[in-house]
Amino acid sequence: MSGWGGLRAMVAAVYLFALGPIVITATVSFNAANQSRFPPLGFSLRWWAEALGPRWLGPLLFSVELATAASVLAVLAGFPLAYAVARRQFPGRDFLAALSLGPLALPALVTGIGLLQMLHLAGLEALFGLPALVLGHLVICLPFAVRTIGVSLLSIPGNAEQAAMSLGASPFTAFREVTLPLVKSGVFAGASFAFVQSFTDYSISLFLARPGSSPITVTILSFLEYGFAPTLAAVAVLTMIVPIVLIGAVQRFFRVGDFLYETRH
Amino acid sequence: MAGMSDRRFPWLLAGPPALFLLLFFVLPNALLLTASAFKSDAQVLTNELSGESYAFIFGKALYRAAIYRTFWIGAAVGALVVLLSYPVAFFLTRTRSRWKGWLIALILAPLLASVVVRTYGWWVLLNREGAINGALLGLGVIDEPLVMLPSSGAIVVGLVHALLPFGVLTIMGVLAGLNPNLERAAMSLGASSARTFVEVTLPLSMSGVLAAFLLAFSLAISAYATPTILGGPATETLATLIYKFMVSLVDWGVGSALGTVLIVVSLLLLWLGTRLGARRAGPGAA
Repeated sequence: MSGWGGLRAMVAAVYLFALGPIVITATVSFNAANQSRFPPLGFSLRWWAEALGPRWLGPLLFSVELATAASVLAVLAGFPLAYAVARRQFPGRDFLAALSLGPLALPALVTGIGLLQMLHLAGLEALFGLPALVLGHLVICLPFAVRTIGVSLLSIPGNAEQAAMSLGASPFTAFREVTLPLVKSGVFAGASFAFVQSFTDYSISLFLARPGSSPITVTILSFLEYGFAPTLAAVAVLTMIVPIVLIGAVQRFFRVGDFLYETRH
Repeated sequence: MAGMSDRRFPWLLAGPPALFLLLFFVLPNALLLTASAFKSDAQVLTNELSGESYAFIFGKALYRAAIYRTFWIGAAVGALVVLLSYPVAFFLTRTRSRWKGWLIALILAPLLASVVVRTYGWWVLLNREGAINGALLGLGVIDEPLVMLPSSGAIVVGLVHALLPFGVLTIMGVLAGLNPNLERAAMSLGASSARTFVEVTLPLSMSGVLAAFLLAFSLAISAYATPTILGGPATETLATLIYKFMVSLVDWGVGSALGTVLIVVSLLLLWLGTRLGARRAGPGAA
């Protein structure tokens, strides 16, 4: 069918557009010349040697720590919120549901400058750096945890816990033995999305970081003001490896990809 | 649950995280709205109510132009994201290829990299000594390198690239939920596949198209990294101005007023989307 063939050509062009720049960035990182050129002139690993030095590994590890803290906290705070909203009927439920997704509706950049002003006005400048970043990232990561955990809670039959309790399990045992195992994938999916959201964020970090406690995205942005060395290409590829390895590993055990779409109930 | 009031238990669970969001999400945004309406002296807000921050940004042609630019960039990005995502989403929901899972992963994989990093790739392509100029000069198409940076066009390209996965996800969510019998019915009544698409599939997926447009639009107008990397002093947007006023010039009144414009427009878009029945999708969409 020629219509299908035309569609395939269009789709191939879009894939080229989507992946081309990423492939080119990766190629440039092996350039022998001190230029962000494509095609590269010769082959060299010196940009990689530089990217793997403390100057870039420091912020990269900082980002991993920040994203780990933010995603663990997002799941811990998001679970009870999602549980209350998904499994209970009570006054104020709609408000809680809207509040928990609110950070997706407003631009993170604006929440960032709001937090910047609030911490200054409260005299809490000492928090800038890791503590303020964890707070800010928890705000933007929470909706991802609440949504995914909520979706998996909704997929459990409502009477599963009751059934366990009627067989003599305490409410806590019923929760631990019945509900928790059933939402495990949702929890890991939520944590993974939260991790990626934090790891790739710059909008909040831009205003809450301080020199020395700055995630990799902000470090790259401030470096860009001085030029575009090929080191950046190597650093860019390094930052892509972290979430790809993480998601690949989690997907193997928990099929988090199922939560990306087709999750309406 | 036994022994516990059914009304209080949910609040016991949800109270602490809800309080956290009130303190660190609602309060800072409310503070920003307030700060925009008071006279400010650098980082110190006075308690004098004043519209001077708004008068300042809407009074200067430079800032009006930046606001206007932000919105047309948003609209162009929204339209292009829809145009590029639709065929991909359509293909991915219909294909029976055994590579389907990999193809979906491949188009979504860029979401795992920060926009900062992905935009750098466009800089490599578009700059004076970049890949595109290199290729065109080499082929003899041009004699002088094209000046593609900084420009609003480059910002649009970079943002379309950055937001494409959201468009694909959103439209796929809707297309995957369509009842395939409706298309079969149209075809069995003699409609060609093109006509079936135009008269059945496309109208039924308009909620996804609209949602993808609005999502890309709202994410594009608040993007900072792409206009910073691919733009310059002549292509300021709301987000780059916000950064300038908050961090470099430390004029919080004006910075907050610019932020308020973004909040108001984002809420308007959300309201519009709900009114028009847009269905938002994304990681964990419910």
